[in-house]
Amino acid sequence: MKLNIDGLLVYFPYDYIYPEQYSYMLELKRTLDAKGHGVLEMPSGTGKTISLLSLIVAYQRTYPLEVTKLIYCSRTVPEIEKVIEELRKLMEFYTKETGEKNNFLALALSSRKNLCIHPEILHANIVVYSYHYLLDPKIADLVSKELAKKSVVVFDEAHNIDNVCIDSMSVNITRRTLDRCQTNVETLQNTIQRIKETDAAKLREEYRRLVEGLKEANVARETDIYLSNPVLPDEILQEAVPGSIRTAEHFVGFLKRFLEYLKARLRIHHVVQESSPQFLKDIYEKVCIDRKPLRFCAERLRSLLRTLEIADIADFSAVTLISNFATLVSTYSKGFTIIIEPFEDKTPTIVNPVLHFSCMDPSIAIKPVFERFQSVIITSGTLSPLDIYPRILDFRPVTMASFTMTLARTCLCPLIVGRGNDQVAMSSKFETREDFAVIRNYGNLLLEMSAIVPDGIVAFFTSYVYMENIVASWYEQGILENIQRNKLIFIETQDAAETSMALEKYQEACENGRGAILLSVARGKVSEGIDFVHHFGRAVIMFGVPYVYTQSRILKARLEYLRDQFQIRENDFLTFDAMRHAAQCVGRAIRGKTDYGLMIFADKRYARADKRGKLPRWIQEHITDGSLNLTIDETVQLSKHFLRQMAQPFRREDQLGLSLLTLEQLQSEEMLQKISQIAQQV
Amino acid sequence: MDDQGCPRCKTTKYRNPSLKLMVNVCGHTLCENCVEMLFVRGSGNCVQCDTPLRKSNFRLQLFEDPAIDKEVEIRKKVLKIYNKRDFDFPSLREYNDYLEQVEEIVYNLTNNVDVESTKQMMEHYQRENRDIIQRNKAKLTREQEELEELLLLEQQDSQQRRLETLQEEKRQLQAKRKSKQALLDELENSQLPASILLAQHKDRAAQLETQIEKQKQSVKPATIFSTGILKGQTVSLAPVAHIEEVLYKYQPLHIETFGPPVPGLEQLDRIGCRGDFSAVSRETLTPIIQEVITWYLNHVRTATPQDLAGGYTSGLACHRALQDAFSGLFPSLI
Repeated sequence: MKLNIDGLLVYFPYDYIYPEQYSYMLELKRTLDAKGHGVLEMPSGTGKTISLLSLIVAYQRTYPLEVTKLIYCSRTVPEIEKVIEELRKLMEFYTKETGEKNNFLALALSSRKNLCIHPEILHANIVVYSYHYLLDPKIADLVSKELAKKSVVVFDEAHNIDNVCIDSMSVNITRRTLDRCQTNVETLQNTIQRIKETDAAKLREEYRRLVEGLKEANVARETDIYLSNPVLPDEILQEAVPGSIRTAEHFVGFLKRFLEYLKARLRIHHVVQESSPQFLKDIYEKVCIDRKPLRFCAERLRSLLRTLEIADIADFSAVTLISNFATLVSTYSKGFTIIIEPFEDKTPTIVNPVLHFSCMDPSIAIKPVFERFQSVIITSGTLSPLDIYPRILDFRPVTMASFTMTLARTCLCPLIVGRGNDQVAMSSKFETREDFAVIRNYGNLLLEMSAIVPDGIVAFFTSYVYMENIVASWYEQGILENIQRNKLIFIETQDAAETSMALEKYQEACENGRGAILLSVARGKVSEGIDFVHHFGRAVIMFGVPYVYTQSRILKARLEYLRDQFQIRENDFLTFDAMRHAAQCVGRAIRGKTDYGLMIFADKRYARADKRGKLPRWIQEHITDGSLNLTIDETVQLSKHFLRQMAQPFRREDQLGLSLLTLEQLQSEEMLQKISQIAQQV
Repeated sequence: MDDQGCPRCKTTKYRNPSLKLMVNVCGHTLCENCVEMLFVRGSGNCVQCDTPLRKSNFRLQLFEDPAIDKEVEIRKKVLKIYNKRDFDFPSLREYNDYLEQVEEIVYNLTNNVDVESTKQMMEHYQRENRDIIQRNKAKLTREQEELEELLLLEQQDSQQRRLETLQEEKRQLQAKRKSKQALLDELENSQLPASILLAQHKDRAAQLETQIEKQKQSVKPATIFSTGILKGQTVSLAPVAHIEEVLYKYQPLHIETFGPPVPGLEQLDRIGCRGDFSAVSRETLTPIIQEVITWYLNHVRTATPQDLAGGYTSGLACHRALQDAFSGLFPSLI
């Protein structure tokens, strides 16, 4: 259908539209008009992708000078494929409606197998690739340098974007890395020796270039330098490589010294936590290495590898990692911390020294994106509370809105179970984890649910260790046997192959027979990527509140930093993180308006206002006061009633006019009024 | 590093993990015991390369590769002499060339290439640039001290902030508890109906919430001292350069009027409508003449004692009026 959104003609490739899609497109258009950034939360399974694409493509066609490119960033390859599918449909619709062949070019960069050729990016109107190509400073300058300023960047499924930013700027160095680096450096030295004997001209040429301060032709671009080094002023970026690492031999000697220093640092017996300036001071005292040559380390190494014409760069990954670490530690003085541990917390007896160079401030990696592109949209199904993202990513959005689902029948039923039938409070709190009664109550809950819910149930635990403990206890108590009389049980492990096999068999079991239960973990592979549509997920049970491991030193350093810089309390942040994972897990079950599912939060802490308030709006509005702090019996009653209702036939015609609209219905006055209430500005 | 053996008594290193390895200027390692034994016999030559050594030159080995230890030692010595910094050079290119030169020297000394000539060059340089070396040394120690001070300040700051936030949170909790307790007490003792008390309590709770919210927002990380200097800015402790300027001399304004000059303040009671009698003494002026002549001053109201106390004299007003009148007479046409 052809829509009129605030004066803009938008081609929408389907005959029916959801009111929230229209509302979403309206907000999006306003954000683009304002040429600013936006944070939009829209529930999963409501056609977010096609709304985004159709509006932005229409905007591009109408104002080709305002928006020259659309950059769509997604997390995984399957998601990229889905986007391309929708885009194809949209393009076919355009050709059908306008009758002319459109000249839009869309490019997808997915993996090393599908490498693109750079010049094509210049002409493409739409580029689809993964977050890392834009956020990771090591890759950003290679891939994203030709992108113009007047582009719109969309980060889809961006609820974890702060973790992506942090990971892209963090480095972990183990003893093994250093040993491999040693071999790399020796290889470099031998190669240099050999080249000096055979073809010394190449090295001399490189030396001359470094002396003149000439940069490689494709390195000295303002755009990509900006992306890879966001906080350096331009004069420093244009500087020549310092004289102490000009010749190849001196540079190799420099690397050796740095390597030996790192090895010495790893030979400690207690934990050390330092900031970047302290680390640099120590380096200078021990091996007389200054800050400036460290900063140019990565660039110098790249130049050397190119001059020596080393074909297989992957062999040199260890020394590249070390040089990246050197550049990062010398460039940023704030926002990073160095933690050296002689062994991992979980295995105190195994000697495994590791140096964690972790970024505590996600805004460092994403700042260049916000400053360079005129409109950046961050969207996902679970972004609550919305105001935290602008604070931790340090940007000012012109729009922050949360959308609900308009439903003809209430297809989600969130319930908070806080007590067992014996009135013992259920919780995954650390103190009550070993409590026999709590484990038995959890088992009872699963048992009762397995008896009344048809087809598949997915259960999420807070950690692998916790899951294993509980399942072992259930086995001893005989609960597992009772559950297996109702449904088959599959379990997710840390091994990828086992998990995919378990998933496959789970799906097979749901297809025929009484269905199955899948036990998995809240931060695992299943919760991040797999959708449980229709009969694959009729109920999702969240056992406990999925807090991250709070004793990790890196986490503590990060919380401290957040408190000092952004005045975000530690408790607030931990709760926010836990609740976004919980919301992601329960959101797996609903993918579309004809789908229905139970969402059971099995922990008494969910009833508290500070946790409930951090759930996304589209879940919160269905939590009534009567569904807080239920016992298992009450839960079973409510679920039975809900499931029976949902099992009644529900056709598309029932939805028309309420949650599904045709073009005529869309344009009626009252509908437009209702639509304006869907979006809630924050 | 623990699998390295002492080149002399090889076995001892494995058996005795607490044994330390020492490195000397030739770059070869020896364990502590062997060092003792070597100097007991009085001979001071390295086992592997036979260079003459002194016992004091042995240092504890920090790095796995003894060559690196040797290089670091040499580098530290060289940098003590070659300690010019980037502001000593007119251009970046020259500074980089200087750095490269330093690297060459270290490289030569470490790999025993041209040792003699390099040492001579170093001594020559040292003699020539003695004062620059001294000055830079002083500057370096000062900068290091400043840096340490800053780091210490930062640490203290963050600790204080942490304490403050903890105390703040405690206070908020206490306030909440107090208000709840107050509600219960009121319900017990007061005569008002329960609904009014509840409404009051809700009001108070809401007020508390807004207070807390406001406090949260108003806390800003203190980055500036009250004088406007940024925290973390290195303030140079060198004395401010004394700038000598020309002293200002007051030149009174002179306006050319092409006419008779304005009478001065002191002469107002001597100059009158018939002429200037300032040169004549008072006694010679007969009373009759005095009557006929009206001094300028007579045209102005005499100052009362209160005016005089404030510093006002009638002469001021008269002078001003005369100046006004004269300035309009012969304007200079510029």
